[in-house]
Amino acid sequence: MTARDLAIRYGFLVLMAGLIVVFGVTASGFLTVPSAVFILQSVAITGILALGVTCTLVVGGFDLSIGAVATSALMLSAYVMVVWEMGAVAAVALCLLMGAGVGLINGFLIVKMKVPDLLATLGMMFVLLGIQRIPTEGNSIATGMALPDGTTATGTFSPAFLALGRLRLGDVLPLSVVFLLLIAVLVWSFLELTRHGRLMYAIGSNAQAAALAGANVERYKVAAYVISGVLASVGGILLAARLGRGDVASGNNLLLDSVAAALIGFAVLGASKPNAFGTAIGALFVGILLQGLTMLNAPYYTQDFVKGAVLVVALVFTFALTGRRTRSA
Amino acid sequence: MLNRRTFGALLASAALAPGLALAQSMPAPFDNPGEVEIALVRYLSTGDFFQAYLSGVERQAEALGVNLRVLDSRQDAALQADMVDQAIALGVDGIIIQHGLTESMKEAAQRALDAGIPVVAFDVNVENENIPQIEQSDRDLARLALEQAIADNGEEWTAGYVYVPGIAPLDRRHETWTEFKERYPGINEVAQFGTLDNPIANSVANQARSVISANPNITVMFAPYDEFAKGVKIAVDEAGMSGQVSIYSADISTADIAAMREPGSAWKATAATNPAVVGEVSVRALAMLLAGEDPGDQVIVPPTLITQQQLNDENITNMEELSARVPAFAHADVAAPDWMPLPSAPSQN
Amino acid sequence: MDGSAIRVRGLSKAFGPNRVLRGIDFDLPAGAVTVLMGANGAGKSTLVKVLCGVHPTDRGEVTLGGRPFAPGSPAQALRAGVVTVHQNIDDGVVPDLDVASNLLLDQIADGSVGVASGRKLRDRARAVAEAVGLRVDLRRPMAELPLADRQLVAIARAMAHKPRLLILDEPTSSLSAAEAERLFALIDRLRAQGVALLYISHRMSDIRRIADRIVSMRDGVVSGVFEAQPLDTGGAVRAMLGRDLSEAAITIPAPGPVVLSMQGTVLRPGARPFDLIARAGEVVAVTGLVGAGKSALAAALFGLAAPVAGAMRLDGAPYAPASPIAAIARGVYMVPRDRRANTLIADFDIARNLSLPFLRRHARGPFLRRRSEAALGARMVAEMGVVCRSPRDGILTLSGGNQQKVAVGRWMAEASRLLVLDEPFQGVDIQARRDIGAKIRATARDRATLVLVAELDEAMEIADRILVMSEHTVAGEHRNENLDLSSVMRQVTDAHGAAA
Repeated sequence: MTARDLAIRYGFLVLMAGLIVVFGVTASGFLTVPSAVFILQSVAITGILALGVTCTLVVGGFDLSIGAVATSALMLSAYVMVVWEMGAVAAVALCLLMGAGVGLINGFLIVKMKVPDLLATLGMMFVLLGIQRIPTEGNSIATGMALPDGTTATGTFSPAFLALGRLRLGDVLPLSVVFLLLIAVLVWSFLELTRHGRLMYAIGSNAQAAALAGANVERYKVAAYVISGVLASVGGILLAARLGRGDVASGNNLLLDSVAAALIGFAVLGASKPNAFGTAIGALFVGILLQGLTMLNAPYYTQDFVKGAVLVVALVFTFALTGRRTRSA
Repeated sequence: MLNRRTFGALLASAALAPGLALAQSMPAPFDNPGEVEIALVRYLSTGDFFQAYLSGVERQAEALGVNLRVLDSRQDAALQADMVDQAIALGVDGIIIQHGLTESMKEAAQRALDAGIPVVAFDVNVENENIPQIEQSDRDLARLALEQAIADNGEEWTAGYVYVPGIAPLDRRHETWTEFKERYPGINEVAQFGTLDNPIANSVANQARSVISANPNITVMFAPYDEFAKGVKIAVDEAGMSGQVSIYSADISTADIAAMREPGSAWKATAATNPAVVGEVSVRALAMLLAGEDPGDQVIVPPTLITQQQLNDENITNMEELSARVPAFAHADVAAPDWMPLPSAPSQN
Repeated sequence: MDGSAIRVRGLSKAFGPNRVLRGIDFDLPAGAVTVLMGANGAGKSTLVKVLCGVHPTDRGEVTLGGRPFAPGSPAQALRAGVVTVHQNIDDGVVPDLDVASNLLLDQIADGSVGVASGRKLRDRARAVAEAVGLRVDLRRPMAELPLADRQLVAIARAMAHKPRLLILDEPTSSLSAAEAERLFALIDRLRAQGVALLYISHRMSDIRRIADRIVSMRDGVVSGVFEAQPLDTGGAVRAMLGRDLSEAAITIPAPGPVVLSMQGTVLRPGARPFDLIARAGEVVAVTGLVGAGKSALAAALFGLAAPVAGAMRLDGAPYAPASPIAAIARGVYMVPRDRRANTLIADFDIARNLSLPFLRRHARGPFLRRRSEAALGARMVAEMGVVCRSPRDGILTLSGGNQQKVAVGRWMAEASRLLVLDEPFQGVDIQARRDIGAKIRATARDRATLVLVAELDEAMEIADRILVMSEHTVAGEHRNENLDLSSVMRQVTDAHGAAA
């Protein structure tokens, strides 16, 4: 019993430690502070999205629209600054509002219109992919671009906005990493330490029972999608600040990577359920893998393969091993 | 045969069509261009390049006075083949196939020819000698950029290379890179990476960060696709290595111009074909076929080298200014017989 | 041969130390409907499972048509001619397939019918359907059929096996009166064909309509066989409950002030209005058949569904909760039926399951106080007598009885004005049932308590007062001493006759 319990509880962390040792030996420059900062920076955006989707997983839902929300925020922030020539504060505020609005609509579709979560957020994903391209007729947004009415956009990305993606605290720690850590701690505290988080877990496990215990199931479900939408828009803001332009992109890879991180998180510490700490570790795990493999010159398709393999192993950890444990008990 | 009815129609169109003076001097069927309809069947459509290509197609079609029908399969190969059949059923006079897969388009293109409809293909090999290929010369693109890299950095440098195999234009650019490495043994490629995960620039930036931290001695990054170059530039900036690394790429857009012109930018030069010009050439080649002329098996649109220096000297900030101040970029003198009306103001859009 | 299709002698079955069947003797004659009655835990369902091959016997013998019958699996029982239609009819049909495929499902499964489509298949299916007088469009998907037709399809499919014994386990529990009548017509035809029928039901109207004989079971033995016409249904109920009328061990306390009063309440359109009063300190059991309206009463009290008409008052103030949240705010708590579906959070441990409705009490601002929650867990585990290693144990590691103690304990952790318990003894062993019952009575002093139970003996075990519900109204009221069982049973089964 103890051997298997230990394996389930710490197996994934041991695997990650082993990975760090292997890369440390084989890839020169892997075990350095800048390298560690790179890894954190490379997972900052997907990590933040993954923490959002974790909240929807906790209430037994799913949010397929996060990738599209992120790229919509990317386009929106660029549009606000380049075309409307407004400042960083306006861009950030409008993006967060947009994210919250999308979350509200998702929640409304799921809770009130009774559309299944996967279908509602899939529909929202397509709506966003389309809507973000309408104002620019499918073009990316950059200073000097021609507008549909024939004029030229003259606004620029505000330096304060760009700093969100580029500034480094003490010349080491990028601001985006600070956001990731901050949001991870906030989401973790919310889910694990507050009664709201506890009720959300109860709803995810048995919504009917939670309702009969006096939980406002509908409100918490909507709240989960709003959190997911807002965090996805934060990810999109950081993406825009890093790219410095409004790139037309589907965000599907952002979606898939974040969902993978959240699912890998199920296996961390044998939780067998969505949890913020696991999600952060899952994102970090993928980041470490990709950083190490890239430093070793591994081509991109091996990286997809490895990512997939890690996910499958994590899911086996979650479902097969822990499942057997509860059955034998 | 000219009977009273067609004569009347001709008169009516003469009264309405603004391009009448031109139309009269054009060969059939462009003597009556309002009756001509051509179809653009697309495989790829999102992104700056494809938007610009479409605008070129639209502009040249307008200059000819013909009707244009755009069918967009959005990367669905089977749908694209269906759309060719749809265009045949609609009775269009000519078809431009823009990108696609050889396997799915080969037979569809042949069906169009069987129906007596001329076809030209851009950047997709349909393995048919009766279908002219419109190409931007990817080998020339890579050659121009690499020649500039040699001119700037000499014949010996340590290189990082961004490449994803299996994408036809990238594969062609890769061939040139291989040739250059053979010709200049002083080029030392220490890292090859690349991904098409989108947003591409963001994903490539993550990879490039890892590469330059593992190989801090890299001085030249060859990123023969502007999304790659953007990603590398982000990584170089983040690592504070803009002074040491030079980036050479292919393709250009307004955003690329801004990135190249940032103070101290590592992005030194790019070679590009104006996608709008490629669009114009596609329509012109098809028009020649319709008029019974032969544009040749391959219609190659030559690229232009654009350097950071040049952009700064001319104070160019966007694609329109680039077209206006670098004439070679604004216009390509291919598939342009004397009768062919050219778009009046190519830099308008 | 004496005409018995099935003869059971000395049948015994134990699960561990729990002796469920303790020497059963009875016969099931061909061409007759035998009704089997028994309270919860009497051993009815175990007996059925032995007969249809799910469980092997420990001792005793069963003969079918004179030959020994000891099926090793349900499939063997089926081949021998023992067919069972279970309570949950969707167990027996595939809702996504059409009627024809469902009728021939066994033949398709064993390969004797090939490709599952086309005219040939429908012809064979039609023959099966006509054998039981079933007339439906064979091409319709099963899911579109009304409940009764689905049940008839399940029976028709069973009849294709030419059964000697057909077992029907509470077949009318979810049917309307008209639908039930179609089923009875079919049963009449099968009886005429010489099939032996074993019919399990508590519905007196069903029993009067179709029973040729009644076998009562109690505590794993046959406690009475009634064959003389007219059937002595009262005797059968008494044999099933096995209770002397003087046996009630309840000390009825002096009534406290009125807590809940309902006036002119109508639970569903067309139902007769009723009044109901519950006082502090008393435990009121509400009993009645499945579908009699007990759940609708619970739903009205807990804010899940507003009654059609009538006024409710709680402690003298108007009470019309719009949601469970509103009900809880007024101190009305409910332990719902079916703990796995409605109460327990499978992912949570015991303490977290206990604290769920009152998290605010275990939190400072939004943040939970672990120590407060742990103290609650320890307290309720001790008070309810939950057998576990610690309050941190996963809820699903507990036995059914201990899970139920947690489910009930959740709502006893805080003082309430009115506590409603819907089937609190469901799926609970006898010891846990006594523990929970004692706990409910011991804590009842300061609140009104309403216990909803289908089984009359459970009501008699716990209540000071017993209300009988039928047809969504209160049909009778009894003080739980010197109870006139036959009068209670009449009210349970006949709403119209009991206009008391």
